[in-house]
Order: sequence, then structure tokens, then C-alpha cells
Amino acid sequence: MNDNVWVVALAAAVSVGTPLTLAAVGEILAERAGVLNLGLEGMMLLGAVCAFLAADAWHDPWLALLCGIVAGAALSLVHAFLSITLRANQIVSGLALVIFGTGLAEFLGQPVEGDRRGASFVAVHMSGLHDLPIVGPVAFGQNVLVYVTVAVVAVAAFYLRRTRAGLALRAVGESPETADARGIRVARVRYVHVLLGGVLAGFGGAYQALARVPSWSQAATTNGIGWIALALVVFASWKPWRALAGALVFGFALRANFTLQAADITFVPAEFLSMLPYVLTVLVLVALSFGDLRSRAGAPAALGVPYVRDER
Amino acid sequence: MTSFALERRPAPRWWHAVLAPVVSVFAALLAGAVFLLLTDRSPSTVYRALLESGFTTWFGFTDTVSVAIPLIFTGLAAAFAFRMNLYNIGAEGQLYAGAIASAWAGLALAPHLPRPAALVAVLLAGAIGGATWIVVPALTRAFLGTSEIITTLLLNYVALYLMRYLIFGSASYWRDPTSTNFPQGKVIDPKAQLAVFGDTRVHWGLVVALALVVVFWAVRAFTSFGFDMKVLGDSPAAARYAGIPVARTVILVLLVSGALGGLAGASEVAGRAYTLDPNGLALSLGYTGIVVAALARYNPFAVALVAIAMGGLQNAGISLQSTPGNHVPIAISYMLEGIVLLFALGGEVFRRHRLVLRRAVPA
Amino acid sequence: MDAPVLSARGIVKRFPGVVANDGVDLDVRRGEVHTVLGENGAGKSTLAAVLSGYYRPDEGELRVDGERVTLHSPRDGLARGIGMVHQHFRLVDRFTVAENIALGDGSQPVVLDTSRLEREVTALGERFGLSIDPRARVGDLSVGERQRVEIVNTLYRGADVLLLDEPTAVLTPREVDVLFATVRALRAAGRAVVFISHKLGEVMEVSDRITVMRNGRVTGDVRAADTDARELARMMVGRDVDLSPRRAPRAPAAPMLRVRLDGIELDVRAGELVGVAGVAGNGQLELAETIAGLRTPPAGRVEIGGVDVTGRGARAARRAGLAYVPEDRLGTGLAPSLTIAENLLLTRRRGFFVNRRRAAAQARDAIERFDIKASGPDAVTRVLSGGNAQRVLLARELAGEPRVLVAAAPTRGLDVGATEAVRELLDAFRARGGAVLLLSEDLDEVLALSDRIVVLYRGRIAHETPGDGADVEQIGYAMAGVV
Repeated sequence: MNDNVWVVALAAAVSVGTPLTLAAVGEILAERAGVLNLGLEGMMLLGAVCAFLAADAWHDPWLALLCGIVAGAALSLVHAFLSITLRANQIVSGLALVIFGTGLAEFLGQPVEGDRRGASFVAVHMSGLHDLPIVGPVAFGQNVLVYVTVAVVAVAAFYLRRTRAGLALRAVGESPETADARGIRVARVRYVHVLLGGVLAGFGGAYQALARVPSWSQAATTNGIGWIALALVVFASWKPWRALAGALVFGFALRANFTLQAADITFVPAEFLSMLPYVLTVLVLVALSFGDLRSRAGAPAALGVPYVRDER
Repeated sequence: MTSFALERRPAPRWWHAVLAPVVSVFAALLAGAVFLLLTDRSPSTVYRALLESGFTTWFGFTDTVSVAIPLIFTGLAAAFAFRMNLYNIGAEGQLYAGAIASAWAGLALAPHLPRPAALVAVLLAGAIGGATWIVVPALTRAFLGTSEIITTLLLNYVALYLMRYLIFGSASYWRDPTSTNFPQGKVIDPKAQLAVFGDTRVHWGLVVALALVVVFWAVRAFTSFGFDMKVLGDSPAAARYAGIPVARTVILVLLVSGALGGLAGASEVAGRAYTLDPNGLALSLGYTGIVVAALARYNPFAVALVAIAMGGLQNAGISLQSTPGNHVPIAISYMLEGIVLLFALGGEVFRRHRLVLRRAVPA
Repeated sequence: MDAPVLSARGIVKRFPGVVANDGVDLDVRRGEVHTVLGENGAGKSTLAAVLSGYYRPDEGELRVDGERVTLHSPRDGLARGIGMVHQHFRLVDRFTVAENIALGDGSQPVVLDTSRLEREVTALGERFGLSIDPRARVGDLSVGERQRVEIVNTLYRGADVLLLDEPTAVLTPREVDVLFATVRALRAAGRAVVFISHKLGEVMEVSDRITVMRNGRVTGDVRAADTDARELARMMVGRDVDLSPRRAPRAPAAPMLRVRLDGIELDVRAGELVGVAGVAGNGQLELAETIAGLRTPPAGRVEIGGVDVTGRGARAARRAGLAYVPEDRLGTGLAPSLTIAENLLLTRRRGFFVNRRRAAAQARDAIERFDIKASGPDAVTRVLSGGNAQRVLLARELAGEPRVLVAAAPTRGLDVGATEAVRELLDAFRARGGAVLLLSEDLDEVLALSDRIVVLYRGRIAHETPGDGADVEQIGYAMAGVV
């Protein structure tokens, strides 16, 4: 029964949802610190192309992963500098990151555009467990980065809720004046978490390049999942575990094309299936806006607002 | 311990406003040169070629202007909304929607209309198409507070797939039934095609765009609606207090912004492609409009100038890519655009602030 | 006498265009309540910020127990035993009391031990008679309770010196009594309390020693037992000030404002000023905005000059003769990035086009008549001082002869001169036959200006009394919801 199209689709949703989870958790950390980084798509793309190029050059998947992470992190620092130190408009800065990141990724990736090769991270089969019905392939037949991602989610959730540093982080996003008065270095906390956001977005992009898409193509490698991850943050009320759950739903939608074909459901044109995740995201965002208070319950109060100490 | 701190300039001078963008552009070109060197390309060769194919030759320049036309529209679209802190980043999708609508008007309505009416019809259809594409983000933003940033952006992808479906994915009304191997759109009625100037590719869309620049400015400077926009952009609480209809203004501004994005699509269909061409339209004209608007600091006249500068960059990118032996991809244009924007954003801060070095006294 | 635990010598702190502290000396001793008294803008809060490490002084030195120190941050201050309770609380609303207390405390374990923390907080509160629930969400607490959280927080960090910046400004008279009991308990426990205030009465009640400040300088340093209110007032203001009660000179006429809402029945007559007292958040904003047409009440009716304007919108209320000075003057009453000329147009009726030339002429006229200090009609409103911004706002609202003026906290944060000017404008409007509804958290102001006083508690009128001979204690009980 594990060959059933729906089980396959579910297993695939986990894999497709993984980069979404990574990017969303990274964004949760940055936004909890009060910095909105719309540049996810740019950081993911740059992470993806750097990971792809590194994999071609050195044939070491872990090194390639590291390159992707460094690339995402480096780009996030640009945003951190502009929005925290220079107090530029965070929205425009994030958009600039997407435009620059996309352009740079395309520029760097141009020599290898369209090259094909196998995935660097392949699914591990845990003998015995993998043969369990449904849960087997879904939970025990994934590549190793999927398990790393679950660990990242767990650590992030614990960090936010239970640790001293997590408390300081949340205070910086809720009320930087208070955090400052308590001796917390607001700018440093913000830098660190924007950087972590870049690390995870770069990780997500590298995952796309190393475990999912076997060839580099600027348009197809991330294809807007950075934006979906942004919506996912709202959907998840800025909570990591909810981001993971939401990523599975969106992962399922992103695979709808293949799933319905496999299930011999062909009356819906392919283009409409491709629209599905974006339309779904818009609908979810709008639905969340009803019941005003509930949707914004998790939004950090100082999100997007630069912090200046001496305002006189 | 030393640290940097920003200090508000006591009195910003006029030349700070000029200097900041100029320095930003030079800094960006320098940073771009670093990337070129890192990838074994000569910056001086690339920049010279860029200047020639984009600006200093007659054909280069007129091509640049023709590329700039849609950028003026999308730049105005972004500037109109961004000024009010409404971040419509869906000009890309509104452009596609406008192109679909205007191509329909050019095919279905224009044959039955006299020439001026046909032209009005295609342009109007484009504006309506673009405005339609932003209806959901506008209403949800105004009444539910849904972030227009994400909704407008996501709808870009929906519009892209819709446009592909109409030409590549189905035997739709827009598709030329005789083109089977390489599906193409039907050519719109000649009466609906905008005339070009002389032997250039510059078409009458430029005149429409420049007229809208003036209208944009006049609305903001002289009308009560422009005044309301200004208040709302500065302080929503003050707008509500003054009895300005906030939701209505938000919706109207976003619809106008969407219509401007749609006009970009209409001008491409009626002035350049004469058909719905999904590949030819997907040139990031909408996203570049955001760059244009931000660099122009949302001033409509500056939008027109910056659009020409960015148009030159894109135009040069296209011709550099197609020049054999150069190995310079068009992506360099997008990369440079991004760097210029990043530097300009940083530079903008220095217009009003200065960086001071603070040396702490050792305890 | 003990050596001072905290002493400051020659403190100078400058801000662009202002010298906030100009050579200030101060000695604070254990077991003593030391008051810093001065008008708004005298430099008291700046001094407190310097003493607590929030600002670094440009000149001068601080000593703690005789040892010279440089405080780089509030955390440095706390490490030396100096803790500040701000006028505007530094608390995270969405955190619990315990989380707020753990925040920024380096002695907490890396993984927080919440239950231990909660026990400690409860125990500490009980020691000083400050009952607080460590699990309560700060956003749900009353103002007085939040202040207790702040005090417990500084005590938890081991503060020997507590700086209380205008702690009574936002409290009801009853809550003030509770606070003073705590202050006395702290003194008895050998802590030093620096109490910052501009209210003479309470200063005399609670202080041991008083340092008076004016224009950034110390103008007096006396023992409370050796002085009286008259002497303090002179040191504080430098001259005799007339803040004596103003009352309507003539018999009031027909009601200009009629409010008939659930729990609020209120008439304000021509030539009358009605003061609305109450602790912040008891329905003042809702009342003002309902009258101004910005809110639609679920039931009831608002009439301005006999015209029903209930829920008809801001423009209808204005057409009926309403002027409204909101509490948030820069941001709501005025658009900060717009010019003076533009802000004067904000609530005017406009046609399709805006006449900029006429607007500039009007602005020049207003600048002249209201004595607004600004570079001209094109000056951006954000750079104006609070007093000048309020003059712009009043110039606009009082133009076109309104019948009713609703003014919320019109003098908050203004210096003495500007406060007097604003009160004179309200007075003159009343004398011309205008009806004024004054909403203010500052009970002294309400008492000084009102012909009639109503107290709002939880959105309803809890008490009503004529201004002359009003019983302050009674008003205080009503503000606290005790009837």
C-alpha cells in the first residue's frame, strides 16, 4: 500500500515542505527580533546556486550545503546593516535583497544553467521502519536533511520558549525600549537573528539545489517558495512547530501537479495546478485576517520598526 | 571600545539630496566591478559596452527609451502606492493581467471601432485588467488588514501561469490557431497598434506615460485627494481623525496603482509585441519598477528619468548577452539594479543623517 | 550623618539645542527619601537617566559609596545597586510578571526555571507589602500594579537606590497612598529612594530631603522639615505663578453638547468647562472619539448645537461646530511630516483642489496670532516643540468659531509657559461662549479649570460634582471605582 499515490504524495510533501520550514523558521527568528526580512526568496536562490556550484566543484554535499548557508547568511547581513544600523525602510531593503539576490544567482549560475545531475542527498531507508504502512515512507524514508530540519524546529521552539536568550529575543521584538533598559543590546540581538534567518534561508535554498531539483535554473529552483514561507510565518503565528505543520500543507499543494497526474486526474490544466499553492496562500492569509485579533496575536509588536535610543 | 552611531543632520542641504544617489550609483558600479573581476570579466570592457549599447549610440538610446516606457508605468505604479506605505509589489502580475485584457480588446473590440477608439479601448482594457488583478489585495488590505505585500506578490505567479495557460496550455481565444509547434498569440488589429516614431522602436506609449507623470504630480500637488493621500501616508491616525475616508482612499490608491501596472502591459502589447507574448513580457518589468520608484524617491519626474537609466541597463544587458564572445549574461543588469538599489537605500540615510564615530572613555 | 550612597557632582548633559543638566550636584543617603522637584523640562528626568546609567553625562562625576564610577548602561547602574522605575513603564505587555523580571537578568540560568522565579518574586513582594501575581500577564494589569512590577523588578536586582520618575502622575489618589506606604517600607529597610516629582503637596508628604531644579540647574537643596510649599514653589518657578482656579465668570446658557450614552449622560453648556477626571483607559478616548464622530456607539445619541451627529463621521461633527484636540497631538492631531500650512488645512473643508497660496497666508496669520515659534508656514510640524505644536493644533481647531471644544490632555508634557498659554486659550474660548469638555488624567488640572467635574470609571460616570468646593477624596474614590 506504500506505493499508493497518496502515500507517495504525502512523503513528497514532507520533502517539499522542508525548505519552506527552514526559511519560515529563520524568518520567525528574525521577525521575533523585530526585523522583517522580505528577502527570503533572494537568500534562498543565492544559497541554492552557491550550493549547486560548490557541489559541482568539490563533490562534497556537506561542503556544498555549507556554501549555500554562507551565501544566505552573507546576504542577510546586507539587510541587517541597512535596516538595523542605517535604519532604512525594511520593506524596500528586503525587496532590494530579492532583486539583487535573484540577479546575482542568475549571474553566477549562468554557466551551469540547465546542467543536470543527481541529488547529493538521497533518501535513507531505515530498514524495518521504512516498511511500516504510510508512516514508513513518510517519516522514515526521507533524506538526512529532513531530519536535521525537524531538529532545527525543535531547537528553535525550545530556544524561543524556555531559554534566557529566547526571552531577550522576544523582548527585543516586542518592546526594544524595555529590552534596552534591561541592558540587552538590541542591535546585536537583531543582527544575530537576522543572520540566523539568512543561515536557515540559505540552508533551505541549498536543500532545493542538493536534494530536490536536479538542475540549476533560476526560475524553477525556488519558484516563489521564499514568498510562501513569508506567508507561512503569519500562518504559524510566529511559532516554529506550527510552521512545520503548515509547511506540510503547502508542500502538498506544491506537489499537486505530480500527484493528480499520478492519480490520473487530468481534467485540471497543469497551469492551474501550478497556481494552486499561490492561490491557496492568498486564501489562507485572507482567512487568517478574519477574526482580527487571533491572526495578529503572534505578531511581534515592534516588527518592522527601527529602534533609536535617544529620540530628543 | 568604539562604535558607530547615526546622528540626524541638523540642517540637510540640497546637495545632500543630489549627492546621495550619485555616490550610490558609483559605489554600485564599483561593487559590480568586483563581481565582474571575480568572474574573470573586464569591468572596463563591460561598462564601456554597456554605455554604448545603452546610451551613447542613437539606436542604443532609442531602444533604451522604448524599454523605459513600461518601466515608467510600473515605476509610477510603485511610487503611487509606496508613498502611502502601501506596498504593491504586484506590478509584475498586474502587467500580465493588463496585457491579457488589452490583447483581448485588441482582438475582440478593435476591429469594430475607429482607430482612436480602438487605441483607447486597448489602453483602457489594460488599465482595467491591472486594476482587477489588485482588487482582492486592495479590499482585504482595506477591510481586514491583510498584508498587501504578500498577496500582491503571490498573485504575480498566478497571473504568469494564467498567461502561459492562454498561449501554451490551451487553444484559447488569444492563441494563434495556426501556430502549433511554437504556440504564439494572435496579432491584434492594426487599428489598436500604437504608432512608432520614425525608424525607432519608441512608440506613442511614451507620450501616454509622460502625460501620466504630469497627472501623478498634479494630483498630489493640487487636489484634495492628493492631500488626503499625503496625510494618510504620513499618519493613518491623523487621517482618521481628520475624517478622511481611510478605507476608500487605500482601495482607490491601490486600484490606481494596479491600473498603472496594467497600462505597462497594454503598452507592451499595443506598442511592441502586438500580441500576447508570455516570454517577451516576463522580463521583470514589474520588479524593476520598484527599483525605479525607490531610486526616484517616489517623485514622478524622477521616475521618468530613472526609468530611462534602468531601461538602458536592461537594454544593454540584452544586447551584451546576444553579442558573441562576451559571455556577459543579461543577469548582470538585474544584479547591478539590485546593487544600485541597496546602495541608494543606504545612501538615502546619509542624506538626513551622518555617521559619527563614538569613542567610549575607558572606565 | 551617613556618607551618601550615591553622589553626583557637576553633572552636565547637553542635547542638540538644550542643556538639560547644567552642573547638577546631588547627595543621596540610605534610609532617606530624597526628592528632586522641578517643573516639566527642568531636567529632572534627564538627571534620573544619568544617575541610572541610561545617559552618560557630558561632564561631571558620579560616586557610589564614595567610589568614582562610570555607568555605561542601565545594567551598569543596576550592578552598582541603582535601579530606575520609569515614568513610562519599561515592561513587555505580552510577558508575564515573572518573565518581565527575568528579562535581562544575567544571573538567571540559561534555561529558565520559571517556578523558582515565581516563588522568589512572590516572596520579595510580600517583604515590602507589594502583592503581585507572578503569572499574570502584564498587559492585563492596572497602572498601579504595573508600577509594583517595576519596583519589585529593581528590588529583585538588588537595588539599594531606587529612582522613581514621576511615579504618581498616572495613579489614583488611593494608589498614591499605597505607593507611599511602599516608599516608607523601603526607607525603613535602609534603601535610598530618589523621588522625582513636580507636585508640591505630595513632595511635602513623603520627602526627607528636597533638591529643587529649574532650567537644568539646582536652585535649592533643603530638608523637608525646614521648608514650606511657598518657598519650594518660588525655587521651582523663580517667580510667582498664577495657576489658581479659573471659573466661568457668568451664568451658563443653553447646552451646546448633549451626550446620552450608556452610563454617560452629560450636557455642556455655552460658556461652561466640564472636566472629565479618571485613570487612563477608563473610557476617555472612547468618549472623546464618539463625540468627534470617529466611533459609533452601540446605543445612545450625541448632539452638537442641537444637531444629532451620532456616528455620522468626523466631518459631520465638525460641520455641527465641533473642535477636537486629541491626546496624541503629534501623530493624530497633527501629521508630523506635513508643514504647518498643511496641518492647518487638515480638518478644514476642502474642494476638489487645494489652494496652497491661501493656506500659506492662513498659516502666516496663525503663526502671528498664536505666537508660534517656527521658521514659517513651510516648517515641518515634527520639529516644533510640544508647546508650539499644541498652538498649531489649537489655532486650527479654534478657527471658524466652533461651538464645542473637546480637549484631551491639552497640557501634558508642556512646560510652564506653554501650559499657561494653552489654559488661557481654553479660558478665552469659554469666555466667548464656547462649551469645553476637558479630559485629563491630571487631577490638579481638572480641579483648577473646571466649572463642573465628572469622573469616568470603566466607561461610566461614577461621580459628578461642581468644580467649586469639589471633594478631592470623593473624586479619588470614584476614580478607583470605590463608591
